[in-house]
Amino acid sequence: MSFFRKKRLFILLIGIIVLVALIGYSLSNRGNLTTAEQFINDSVGVAQRVIHKPIDFITNIFGNIDDIKNTYSENRLLREKLAEYKGLVYEVQEIKEENEELREIVEKTESIRDFNPIQATVTARSPERWVEQITINKGSQAGVKPNMAVITANGMVGKIQSTSPFTSTVQLLTGFDQFNRISATVSREEESDIFGLVEEYDKETDSLLFKIIEESEKDLEEGELVVSSGLGGVFPAGLVIGEVKEVIPDQYGLTRTALVKPAANFYEIDNVIVVDRVLPGVEEEEQ
Amino acid sequence: MKRVILPLILFILVVLEGVAIEFLPRFLVGNGFLVTPHWVLVTLLLITTFYDLKDTYHSVVYGLIFGLLVDIVYTGTLGVYMFTYAVITYAIHGLMKVLHSNFFVAILVVAVGVALADLTIYAIYLVVGITDMVWQDYLTARMIPTVILNLIFLIVFYPLLVKLLVYLKGEHHSKNN
Repeated sequence: MSFFRKKRLFILLIGIIVLVALIGYSLSNRGNLTTAEQFINDSVGVAQRVIHKPIDFITNIFGNIDDIKNTYSENRLLREKLAEYKGLVYEVQEIKEENEELREIVEKTESIRDFNPIQATVTARSPERWVEQITINKGSQAGVKPNMAVITANGMVGKIQSTSPFTSTVQLLTGFDQFNRISATVSREEESDIFGLVEEYDKETDSLLFKIIEESEKDLEEGELVVSSGLGGVFPAGLVIGEVKEVIPDQYGLTRTALVKPAANFYEIDNVIVVDRVLPGVEEEEQ
Repeated sequence: MKRVILPLILFILVVLEGVAIEFLPRFLVGNGFLVTPHWVLVTLLLITTFYDLKDTYHSVVYGLIFGLLVDIVYTGTLGVYMFTYAVITYAIHGLMKVLHSNFFVAILVVAVGVALADLTIYAIYLVVGITDMVWQDYLTARMIPTVILNLIFLIVFYPLLVKLLVYLKGEHHSKNN
């Protein structure tokens, strides 16, 4: 009997050692997934795609019923906005043309704003709620690479964490920590822009923390739009991140932090665009 | 064919967990609740209760395999679910030596099993640094809703799964003897 007890303890200890080794291995900032992991991700991805279709259909029906309820009031609001946009579209077109002409004059055709969009569909979301991660149906075969930004029509939702040939996983903004920073900016018409870093997601206030590096003379106001600045060398410029909700001093009182309400809804993500920056970043040029 | 039914069901459950957040009611998903589906574990516990004999450990082996699958596909941190699912299933397997297999035991076993498993996962993630939730918040926001959700899953799928498991048990184990 005591032999069996010892054996059981032995197996448990080996199990714990294996656990620690595996966790250590997977947390050690490895760049790419192993082939076995990629293979498993892709095979599960196929099954996820099959199952996702009917589920999507059913949830869409419920979504549509909700939409119909609000149609009338939304329609009125949208008509008003549409009238405003007509003027705006004309203006933007003019500015775009002018911008292109000016770029040709200075012989600089590539911009940190340009990107190639890769359309993708969300097939799964991690059931483990502490891991804010979704799976999309495009992988390295479609040109997706780690660290690319992922956006929806509303704004930025996250970045590519790892890729397999036919699927990839996206780390959502809600799962960002200090190691995933986005250089961002608040654009001003006359004064100098405000630059800073969007650093982590604060669960208590449900907002992203925008650490301001360079202050402007005028204070940040509620409702101002925070967009990516493209200076980090990874994401292109001009991706909408969110709206300023509140400005608070940081814990040492030296700089200030803005609480940013993300523009995208993280619970209803169906179709996303993976952003492939045209201008190569610093890291890629070195390779 | 009959040999692959259980792995197939477990595999489908792994895939279904990935879309669970989408079709669960909205008030459970938002509102600060962190409901986590552990449907694979619930099924594993049913396998221990109704399928495994005293000296067979199918459920523990399945726990290792499908726990690892959940790790690879959904979290990227290998080993956590694998270790937890296998250990909890093994512990419940030991417990089944003194308990009978019926509906109320199944409810008790799943409630205790899911609670312990989620607690283990929380402990590991806390040590590793994936979460920094304090345990009072964890209890109210995650553990209790999670146990309730998985109990609902158990009650809904109990008749189907148990009928299948009892049938398979008769088929497989009588052949071996």
